[in-house]
Amino acid sequence: MVTNLNSFLENYFTAHHCDIISNQNGVLQVQLNEKMDRALMNRPFYWHYMKQMGREGDPMQLSLITNPNAQVDKGEKIHFGSPRLQQILKHLRENERFTRLFQVVNTDQNTALHPWLVINIKISYIGKHKKDEVFSIGLNLINGMMKTEMMDLLKNIELQMQISDFCYTITPIIKPQSGYKRILSVIDQYIQDLDHQWAKESLEELQNEINLLKHFYEGYQDNDLDQMEKELQDLIERYQPKIQLTVINGGLFYLNN
Amino acid sequence: MKNIDITHDTSFIESLEEKLDQDGPFSSWDLFKMAYDSELTTITQDFHGLRALEFLPHMNFLPHQIETARQAIEDMNGRAILADEVGLGKTIEAGLIMKEYMIRGLAKKILILVPASLVNQWVKELNEKFYIPAASFRKSYPWDQYDIIVTSIDTAKRSPHREEILNIHYDLILIDEAHKIKNHKTKNYAFVRALKKKYCLLLTATPVQNQLIEIFNLVSILKPGHLGNYESFLEKYGRDRKKINQDVYLKHLVQKVMVRNTRKDTKLDTTKRHIETIWVDFTPEEYEVYNELDKTFQPFSSFSKITFLRELCSSREACYLSLKKFVNDEEHHGREALQPIIDKIGQLPHHAKAQKVVDLVKQIGDEKIIIFTEYRASQLYLQWYLQQHGITSVPFRGGFKRGKKDWMKQLFQDKAQVLIATEAGGEGINLQFCHYMINYDLPWNPMRLEQRIGRIHRYGQENDVYIYNFAIRNTLEEHIMKLLYEKIALFEKVIGHLDDILAELNIESFENEVKSIMNESSSTGEVKIKLDNLAAIIHNANQNTAQEEPRYGN
Repeated sequence: MVTNLNSFLENYFTAHHCDIISNQNGVLQVQLNEKMDRALMNRPFYWHYMKQMGREGDPMQLSLITNPNAQVDKGEKIHFGSPRLQQILKHLRENERFTRLFQVVNTDQNTALHPWLVINIKISYIGKHKKDEVFSIGLNLINGMMKTEMMDLLKNIELQMQISDFCYTITPIIKPQSGYKRILSVIDQYIQDLDHQWAKESLEELQNEINLLKHFYEGYQDNDLDQMEKELQDLIERYQPKIQLTVINGGLFYLNN
Repeated sequence: MKNIDITHDTSFIESLEEKLDQDGPFSSWDLFKMAYDSELTTITQDFHGLRALEFLPHMNFLPHQIETARQAIEDMNGRAILADEVGLGKTIEAGLIMKEYMIRGLAKKILILVPASLVNQWVKELNEKFYIPAASFRKSYPWDQYDIIVTSIDTAKRSPHREEILNIHYDLILIDEAHKIKNHKTKNYAFVRALKKKYCLLLTATPVQNQLIEIFNLVSILKPGHLGNYESFLEKYGRDRKKINQDVYLKHLVQKVMVRNTRKDTKLDTTKRHIETIWVDFTPEEYEVYNELDKTFQPFSSFSKITFLRELCSSREACYLSLKKFVNDEEHHGREALQPIIDKIGQLPHHAKAQKVVDLVKQIGDEKIIIFTEYRASQLYLQWYLQQHGITSVPFRGGFKRGKKDWMKQLFQDKAQVLIATEAGGEGINLQFCHYMINYDLPWNPMRLEQRIGRIHRYGQENDVYIYNFAIRNTLEEHIMKLLYEKIALFEKVIGHLDDILAELNIESFENEVKSIMNESSSTGEVKIKLDNLAAIIHNANQNTAQEEPRYGN
């Protein structure tokens, strides 16, 4: 969970190699680089023009205010509902889906790293109303061991994009594709075992409204039945219970265990 | 369980394998973790509750607005009639509901149908207050390209828009001023019924105006069959709107799809209205001309004489211009009788009411004031007269283009002390930042006065509101003031229900009713008696309606 928006933003821009000019009293000033200016500032024509002219272009600065009481005249107030944060979250969602990481190991001996498939998945239960649930599942692609709350585990491990000296990776015995299937079947089982009271309620409501609808059209002519059919579809769209599985992100983690 | 559709994400693992084959690109741990954390922050963990509130920390919602949004979503499953009284924030409730569905990922494609004059205001409010990226319809972009469009029903139902819109599956449809589609025989009604929609919000302050079948029609847009079918409904309830009160079952059914908050039960009246009558005396010269005009029977119908007299009570200019126009018309006779009066009007000093306005504005001091007048000529005159006394003002008329209205409102807010509006400017602007109003002349329909006051005494007003109603003694303004406004005590009680009451009494236009009383009476005494009667009838009807009101209660 993001609990401190200010440090979340600072980390975000740092991870994207932008210079933090200052960060005081909940006011964060950042010098964007070209990549982030293109991603956030919505001025494609400017960059197109600069490139045409063979010039560098000046990325903009952002001043983001997380402290609602801050007395500053310049800058944007930012909170969980603000368009800027939504834009940043969307940028994260779209760009940070895949990874391959190695555990940092300080060693002078040959050390094996085991491949883990990590999948962060969102389950959405959609009926009359909607709720979501998130699982983070890791599967050891050598021995098939599975762990839940994998992200919490990983947070305590140092990870990097290159493999450490003296380390080597073991080739997966289980292919990622079949590992993924195993993870999904575990989730399917989990869903099967739940008591789906929400879905029952939704189906009852659906049936109830279908009955009303049929009553409404009693004695109507054939050409009104198209309208009834449309309304039936509207009802199904609104009440038919569904479960959607969406992968938030995932990847291959080589861990020393 | 077997009835639940489950969809899996099949593409993810293929894309991941591709990346592994091509050796990237991959996310760093920091960003990977952040994406996960932000998803945990944005998911909806519970079926219930309003997540939108956390997303809109800058908004101060009133308790009844939050409760209404909750009811519409959780109890009514997203199809509801929002029927609050004017000024309690139906737009706010609708915005909150819309936002909630968007946050939960249940609504993406949204169509908002509002009166043409309100399109820009809706776009602005949704964007500024709710960060909902709504846009007004433009010819250049097709209906399916933009997710959230605000337009008028007249535009939407015209070819080729109609066909395109009817092809789209909307997640949410919102219709403002929904009482305009209460008649099931109209094209608008059929169009709304034909829309493919999941959720649907109908906004109206007057869900039942004349006949009970109107509520049947509105409900049938949301939940066909909920009130039975057309024949059975007619048979059972006929066309009598009173039956809703007698039938507990029907009342209960209606409550399942409609929320109505009243000023009374929301306790919105924390900011009070202070209403003061300002009596003005004409100067002797003015009275002389007034009485002379009043005695002139000859050349015109007494109907237009009343108009001229009303104009003279407003400004010399208003009366002068219409009299001039009258005598210049070839078909009219009696130029000889009128010309001396016209000449005298031309000689009159400044209008007694205008002088009073200047005194009052100076007395109020450094505050924003809105002045309403019925006549354009008076509007221009007042603007000039105030300027002579160093008081800045901007004009406002219904005929202004939207952009000009917005600009005038902005000028008023930032630069000018006074905004002078004519009647037609009354609807569709909100001026909560101002809490002083001068009714330079009174409309003869109390409902319109309520609309004027509603511009400033509404949701968002933080101060007590001061209303000054001008009337000139010993003129027909005195009748209107004493008999219409003070007698009926319209300010306190009736106004919220006046629409209902008039419908009940079969009075189509209050204003015409008053005019014909003025017109058909031969003496002041007769006017008084007739207006007294009218007041008594309204008073009676009001008591009936007041008992009826709980029918909507929640």
